[in-house]
Amino acid sequence: MKHITAYFTLLVLLTFTVGCHKIDHFDNDVEGNFDALWKIVDEHYCFFEEKGVDWDAVYREYRPKIKSEMTSRELFDVCADMLAELRDGHTNLSASFDVSYYRKWWSDYPQNYNARIIEQYYFNFNYHRAGGLTYGILPQNVGYIRYDSFSSPVGEGNLDAVLAAFATCAGIIIDVRDNGGGDLENVKPFAARFVTEKTLLGYISHKTGPGHNDFSEPYPYYVEPAAQGRIMWGKPVVVLVNRSTFSAANNFVSVMKNIDHALIVGSRTGGGSGMPFSSELPCGWGIRFSACSITDKDGNWTEFGVDPSPGCIVDLDPADEANGVDTMLDFAINMLQKQ
Amino acid sequence: MMKKFFSAIVLTVALLIPSAVSGQETILRPVMSAYTIEAGSSHVTDTYLSPLSYTGQTAAFAYDRMQAMKFNPDKWVMGLRIEVGMDHTENPARNATIWGAGITARWAMMYRLSVNSPVKFAVGGSTGINLGALYTTRNGNNPVAAKASWTVNLTGMATWSTRIGRLPLTLCYRPTLPLTGVFFSQGYGELYYEIYLGNRHGLVHGAWPGNYFSLDNLATADLRFGATNLRLGYHNTILSTKVNNIVTRMITHSVVVGVSGEWIGFDRRRGISAPTRVISAIY
Repeated sequence: MKHITAYFTLLVLLTFTVGCHKIDHFDNDVEGNFDALWKIVDEHYCFFEEKGVDWDAVYREYRPKIKSEMTSRELFDVCADMLAELRDGHTNLSASFDVSYYRKWWSDYPQNYNARIIEQYYFNFNYHRAGGLTYGILPQNVGYIRYDSFSSPVGEGNLDAVLAAFATCAGIIIDVRDNGGGDLENVKPFAARFVTEKTLLGYISHKTGPGHNDFSEPYPYYVEPAAQGRIMWGKPVVVLVNRSTFSAANNFVSVMKNIDHALIVGSRTGGGSGMPFSSELPCGWGIRFSACSITDKDGNWTEFGVDPSPGCIVDLDPADEANGVDTMLDFAINMLQKQ
Repeated sequence: MMKKFFSAIVLTVALLIPSAVSGQETILRPVMSAYTIEAGSSHVTDTYLSPLSYTGQTAAFAYDRMQAMKFNPDKWVMGLRIEVGMDHTENPARNATIWGAGITARWAMMYRLSVNSPVKFAVGGSTGINLGALYTTRNGNNPVAAKASWTVNLTGMATWSTRIGRLPLTLCYRPTLPLTGVFFSQGYGELYYEIYLGNRHGLVHGAWPGNYFSLDNLATADLRFGATNLRLGYHNTILSTKVNNIVTRMITHSVVVGVSGEWIGFDRRRGISAPTRVISAIY
């Protein structure tokens, strides 16, 4: 009976004395929220080393700016400034009154895109729509596809319809300028139309712990050719890009750059190769930041963007733009006509 | 009327009445079944989803079944518990929600240490699975933390049959403590997209109380009004895991309300040969 009593006593004691596993606690005050933000990023952000960011030094710089009498707005601004040190378009702080963005990844560069020129002067507003794709055939017998967001799903039927419409074209242009990304999974159906065998697209890795260098082994991921019966494209392809080609669109460009019959034309893309992770602060503000890095098939970081193919760097000439000419689109058409 | 009703319904498959030797007493092993609903408070922290502790409500439906075991009914008792639950919790700022849903199924086998006293003890083991997920509407690429485990547990039971006035009452306490097993956890900063791409490395982990501490405390009082009992009780669950540098803590406190009763199935064609002895699982 003694043993039985001891057994049950032990279980009851475990119930009430169990310490469970330790979880960091942050107070919901100015200092607590700042410290929580710094620590969340410290333990989860994935590009400290690539960007040469000394996050401890950032703490030393910004922590003295935190005063207990600060308003929410003032705290938000200091936090936003601190996050801007990451130079990361995937990093945002969200409060009920504002969302912080780091914009310099595109604002310091020419926009290189004017949708109206193409719609008006190249298509006379006579173009088609299939899923998330806008498409039409240019007078030079070149197919043109405009994909403005990888958040817009594109079905296999959409791709079949578009590529079938381009069957007699000499080549196609896929315009992903100003495409800010979206669902990475929408990259594959596109890429699957341009490969003839299982093809390595890149590698993904994630944080395995709070240390700045705690990363998993890069995991390769592939694309298979589109299913039998689907329309494939083996003729030349040009992908038009600008600095606002970001995130999933940036990934699409890095994938297409490694396809033999594809050229990347325009300016360096905006990057954004870290898949964002979400968390929150005690006050309820949301925080989003890059947490899983994706490289191209050669293991190169694309966080800083993807360069155009050799000899294919071109900007939109403001004088041309004023005359209804898209310098970059014309360049792409010429490249296809040469091939 | 009620007696006729219950005797007319053969609730389980025909019980093979064990008679070791022809002419010996017949052993009847009634099945104790209980259907309960639970409601109470829930406290959830999962550092994969958020570093903050969420609090809110929990609700569950549970089915309990206990029966003396066929091979040695005086000494061994088995139990099955299936529980389906849901949690709704909010962060301290009350601007984000974590939903939890899960199903637990556990089968136990216990050795009775005392049979002929009002207070009875049993200890043994159980094995069970738990499947579920936590979901927050707030997060973009990391909205879900899936939970799955198979554990081998230390389990016990203490019962005390007494009366309140003329009303028979059975108090029962059943703790369950997982000792080992396996459980699922995604990587520290791993998105489910990477798992979807095919990276299955490091998802399954061996469990021991150091990385997977769980304690299930169920205390019930069966008020035995007749063929059917009113079951009232308290249910406390504690789960604290730490693996892949992710800490999950889920604690619930619930009030239990339901019905329980003992049911005997028999083959009417064969009848019951005297003498007969009934061995109850808990009463």
